[in-house]
Amino acid sequence: MWKIAVGFVVFAALALFILSKGGDIDMSGEKHGADAMHTEAPTTPAAAASAAK
Amino acid sequence: MANVAPRPMSAEEKKVIFASSLGTVFEWYDFYLYGSLAAIIAKQFFSGLDEGSAFIFALLAFAAGFIVRPFGAIFFGRLGDMIGRKYTFLVTILIMGLSTFLVGILPTYASIGVAAPVILIALRLLQGLALGGEYGGAATYVAEHAPHGRRGEYTAWIQTTATLGLFLSLMVILGTRTLIGEEAFADWGWRVPFLVSIVMLGISVYIRLSMNESPAFQKMKSEGKTSKAPLSESFGQWKNLKIVILALFGLVMGQAVVWYTGQFYALFFLTQALKVDGPTANIMVAISLIIGTPFFILFGILSDKIGRKPIIMAGVLIGALTFFPAFKMLTEAANPDLAKAQANSKVTVTADPAECSFQFNPTGTVKFTSSCDIAKQRLAGASVSYENIVAPAGTTAVIKVGETEVKVKYAPEEIAAAKVKAEAKLAEVSAANPVDDKAVAAAKKSVADLGNEKTAGAALLGANLGAALKSAGYPAKADMAKFDKVKVVMILSFLVLLVTMVYGPIAAMLVEMFPTRIRYTSMSLPYHIGNGWFGGLMPTTAFAIVAQTGNMYNGLWYPVIIASATFVIGMLLVKETKDVDIYAND
Repeated sequence: MWKIAVGFVVFAALALFILSKGGDIDMSGEKHGADAMHTEAPTTPAAAASAAK
Repeated sequence: MANVAPRPMSAEEKKVIFASSLGTVFEWYDFYLYGSLAAIIAKQFFSGLDEGSAFIFALLAFAAGFIVRPFGAIFFGRLGDMIGRKYTFLVTILIMGLSTFLVGILPTYASIGVAAPVILIALRLLQGLALGGEYGGAATYVAEHAPHGRRGEYTAWIQTTATLGLFLSLMVILGTRTLIGEEAFADWGWRVPFLVSIVMLGISVYIRLSMNESPAFQKMKSEGKTSKAPLSESFGQWKNLKIVILALFGLVMGQAVVWYTGQFYALFFLTQALKVDGPTANIMVAISLIIGTPFFILFGILSDKIGRKPIIMAGVLIGALTFFPAFKMLTEAANPDLAKAQANSKVTVTADPAECSFQFNPTGTVKFTSSCDIAKQRLAGASVSYENIVAPAGTTAVIKVGETEVKVKYAPEEIAAAKVKAEAKLAEVSAANPVDDKAVAAAKKSVADLGNEKTAGAALLGANLGAALKSAGYPAKADMAKFDKVKVVMILSFLVLLVTMVYGPIAAMLVEMFPTRIRYTSMSLPYHIGNGWFGGLMPTTAFAIVAQTGNMYNGLWYPVIIASATFVIGMLLVKETKDVDIYAND
């Protein structure tokens, strides 16, 4: 169990480090409908966050 | 029943969990890829489409996420109950993985024209179908390998994969972007994350091939008791259908909204409502996910001891009771200026009610263009709380910020006058010494927007409303000097903790609700309908409620009502399952 815990901490720390260096990225999940087709920034909050799973 | 002699997990059991979880990591990895790379994918595959084709593709993209997955749950669930778990979820991961990989080598619209988006959508539909069968297979397979009394602990590992999939996607995307640069990434580098998936696929298939069929299914098969018609047994017999319905409304529906509120809506609220910059909001959410993730396992273990139902029900109840105060605290911690402006400035929308729509737009294809709808979109987008005032029929909507009146629609001469002003401003900033490049770019954009018939009205409204809100104290962005990072992480971690309460034990509970012969089919459907529909429709429903009512917190009524309904239904009608012998009815 401790190996998994250490592995997770290292993995998470690395992800956090890369996230802090890598700039802006959309973490709101898969886009559907017209949101998946737009190249420009969405105009409404709803359009910006269609996260369905 | 649950007093099992503690023993360490065997190597075979670890392999089972690892192999099953890899598939769901994959699932989540894809989920985040199609979010993070959406703009690039759209540019590469959809930008050449005319309006009519784009509309059809938008509907198909919507179907890939919302409609196809429940079908996949039924299709692969049926296979899993008839031919076995092992081969079915070997097929689902193969389809899912190959579909992802093929996107990485798919020619773009510029190379093969309309065939590119057609193939892309076909791959996404195929992937959605396979995905519908993946989670149910993984949960069933792990639970059927787990010793009695430890199914919560074993299946909880699958639940941690949402975080792992997110972090993996972040590492691959941001790693590639940093290594090759933004321009190359937008050009070809976006393919790398899709291509990398072949490695994950290879490992998953290799491990899954070496595994055995689940003991429960093997036993049932050897006794000749497998279902010949899992669909009609699951959904055609009331005693089973009743449990499917209860699983959906008494468990998954509430779990889904608590989860989406705690992770996705919280992030959305930070960036869109509270105007926190994206990178900061992402870090805050990522930290809270790191803090929260071990609790999936802890609540899974706890559910083996005290039961699944008390933990899940406590999660939905606490969520329903605390979402409003938690999000209000988030505003105070992340953007206190906004909280102050909302308390001090009165904003009204005076409009003909017949002109105002409930702006529910899940496919994103409906355009709300009346003056009332535009006014509400703008105010909701700017996180302004406002009052609705009824105007006589036929009146064009007007926004009032304090004593300042802002028109929503403008006459051509008003736009022409604004353009003259914008041109004068451009001349002024261009002549300044030293030249402020940002100011020049903004002034140029303003002139261009006002000169374009399609964008002129919106640009003028944006400028006038922005100025009025600014003078009323509404911040355009959160002031990072006043941003309380510790408090924000604490609130987000609390929300993630609720997610782990409802999501940690859910796989074990769903598995235990159904007999082996129809388990895969019966548990997959409520899971995907619950999470896909009730969870997935949350952002658009919440926005529609916010725009309708004029209060940026009112979107939370959606998860509060759904979670409350699940609490009542679950408490009254759903039975505890932790002591259920999953072989009993085989």
